[in-house]
Amino acid sequence: MAHTECSSVAVPRRGSHRRRSIRAIALGASLALSVAACGRGDDDDGAADPDVSAGTDVSGGTDASGPEASGSEADGAVEGGISVWAMGTEGEQLGVLADDFMAEFPDISVDVTAVPWDAAHDRIVNAIAGGEVPDASLIGTTWMGEFAKLGGLEPTPDSFDPEQFFEGAWETSVVDGVSYAVPWYVETRLVYYRTDLAEEGGFNQAPADWDELKQLAQAQMEAGAKYGISLQPGGTGSWQTFMPFFWQAGGEILDDAGNFTLDSEACVEALSYYDSFFEDGLTPPAVSDVPVEAAFTNGDVGSFISGPWMRGVVTDAGADPETWTVAGQPKNQTATSFVGGANLAVFDQSDNKPAAWAFIEYLSRPDVQVKWFETVSDLPAVKSAWEDPVLADDEFVATFGAQLEDAKAQPSIPTWEAVASAVDGQIEQVTVGDASPEDGCAAMQQEVESIGTGL
Amino acid sequence: MTAELSGSAPAVTPLVPLVPQRNRRRAWKQALIGWSFAFPFVALFIVFLAGPILVSFITSFTDLRSTDIRSPFGVNFVGFDNYVDVFTDPTFRKAAVNTAVFVLFGVPLTMVLGLLAAVALNQGVVKIRKVFRLGFFLPYVTSIVAIAVVWRLLLGTDAGLVNGLLDLVGIEGPGWLTDTTYSLPSLIVMAAWRNLGFSMIVFLAGLQAIPTDMYEAASVDGATSWQAFRRITVPLLRPTLLFVSVITSIGYLQFFEEPFVMTQGGPLDSTLSVSFHAFNQFSFGNYGYTAAVSYVLFLAIAIFAFAQFKLLRPKT
Repeated sequence: MAHTECSSVAVPRRGSHRRRSIRAIALGASLALSVAACGRGDDDDGAADPDVSAGTDVSGGTDASGPEASGSEADGAVEGGISVWAMGTEGEQLGVLADDFMAEFPDISVDVTAVPWDAAHDRIVNAIAGGEVPDASLIGTTWMGEFAKLGGLEPTPDSFDPEQFFEGAWETSVVDGVSYAVPWYVETRLVYYRTDLAEEGGFNQAPADWDELKQLAQAQMEAGAKYGISLQPGGTGSWQTFMPFFWQAGGEILDDAGNFTLDSEACVEALSYYDSFFEDGLTPPAVSDVPVEAAFTNGDVGSFISGPWMRGVVTDAGADPETWTVAGQPKNQTATSFVGGANLAVFDQSDNKPAAWAFIEYLSRPDVQVKWFETVSDLPAVKSAWEDPVLADDEFVATFGAQLEDAKAQPSIPTWEAVASAVDGQIEQVTVGDASPEDGCAAMQQEVESIGTGL
Repeated sequence: MTAELSGSAPAVTPLVPLVPQRNRRRAWKQALIGWSFAFPFVALFIVFLAGPILVSFITSFTDLRSTDIRSPFGVNFVGFDNYVDVFTDPTFRKAAVNTAVFVLFGVPLTMVLGLLAAVALNQGVVKIRKVFRLGFFLPYVTSIVAIAVVWRLLLGTDAGLVNGLLDLVGIEGPGWLTDTTYSLPSLIVMAAWRNLGFSMIVFLAGLQAIPTDMYEAASVDGATSWQAFRRITVPLLRPTLLFVSVITSIGYLQFFEEPFVMTQGGPLDSTLSVSFHAFNQFSFGNYGYTAAVSYVLFLAIAIFAFAQFKLLRPKT
């Protein structure tokens, strides 16, 4: 995600040419003063929130002092108000859980601020730089390296057991050996495919390995699909579709010493396999202007690889639930998928860290994770939550749960967005351009080495 | 009134040598008042404009990254390293070529279309001139997001209107936005369509300033309308041409919005512009490098504008 929505600076309006040119000059400046300047409105909001909550929470504290004296379960030291930022739907709905939490911990008041995803990255950067941070926030997994390196996040206390969470999800919180956050919800990528087209083409099982995924695509084309599969030919985020193949071929983005290893045989093998779908005409050569869910529903595209949110999207597009299903990633050496999602972190400048961690600990309870799944359909990051029938009895959801046991994330390094962009670019050079997979992997390695890990 | 004035005057200036001193004091006082009125603007200008510009210039010589912003003074000065990186970066070179192509084709196209529309409106369609003037100008004041929605519907490969029409006559249309051959030309056409309204309005004003008796005299002398256009309209429109050319070039050199909303710089960086490259690098947190790119772009704009002033300045 390219979250540089300091839009007033970066996306100048075509109103005054003169102002545009001055803006362009100042673009680079944007940091020291301009980021402060463009984020000023946001900062004010951010600054206001903790103050307001601090204000309310003093009164809240005094109000609650009666029940507290009568002996609440809460740790005596944990009280006061915290402000929490969350993005998107999570930001809009988190109040539901915050109310439950406050009912159980009357000494703590939680003030939730919804932040749009587009603006979230810059708002957090500005908050850290300006020292006016919320106590806790949802953090996109790809931002972990940057914010941890920036020195804005508090290390996770030992009271959180890493074993509780999916391994791939926990790894995203670990930057240079130290965990700075707790996984909140996760998502992973599966193969969505049209069972009716597959059967018509003579393919009757879920694709188990690389060969079978290709056979599936070919069978669906024989059954009349224009394309057997829709793979992203490059562009922002294509690494999320490509990297699972790389991991499946035994590749690792970083070795144990922290060096990039993208020029490995695994990369060449994975990129050759990925490119073969383009060479054989099994996947559209460019991103279509027809959304994939529409093409999937009308049978133009037989399969695609995506995350759990596509269930609702495909259903809304009118696909008959009898005609499609999901399958795990195909196996080569492994059947690893990509794990994304978001973490919850506490800021090191927070003045009420115990209460913030208490709230996060509450959100990590299995029953609360299940409730959250029922509220916004976010998949729980806590493994034991998956034993709940709400998740376990839903075959579709359970397939995602099974895949999460074998899912990896990008390394949490401060330069990840730049590294990902370089990978995206080279994938495109191979699939759309004329570069060979060998050249693509070599160029990838060279580019990411010059970017560095930033640690 | 008069009594008061005449009464007070001698009291203030009893001696001749005091007069210049009083004037000096008054001048100083006036200056103080003046500056205090100007102070809000000056303060805002220094804090929000001059300051950032200076800081960005300094930044371009440092290795400032997004992870340094808690201690921005702890960065290292790296001399011209960022500028060397800019010019050795193949992505920047690609972006520079794309931007140059966009300016060299886009500016003339926009100006020719704008001039044609202005001449047509000035002479031809007098009755419904206002409707056409509004129609041509509307894209210029429309949000780029709305324009992007419409143009994506037009230029879509599989469901686009243009390819739908081509399909009717049996031609399989190319991927206007997804094929490296067509993506940049598509954006040039779109930008020209979007901006011709501005040059049209300015040209229209310029045309209306040309006295009609010149054309009458020319027609008496037997000049064709092409000759009149070539010998009267164009020379007299020269200052307007210069203005439109400079303003449009400055805007086009900062080519950003069209690829941002339409192609994200792709496919294969074929629509990546210098501004977009700077934007990307900024979002990756490479602030020092971004500042260097911005100053290179600034220098290019300054040189280009200066050259146009030299070439197109009205000959007197």
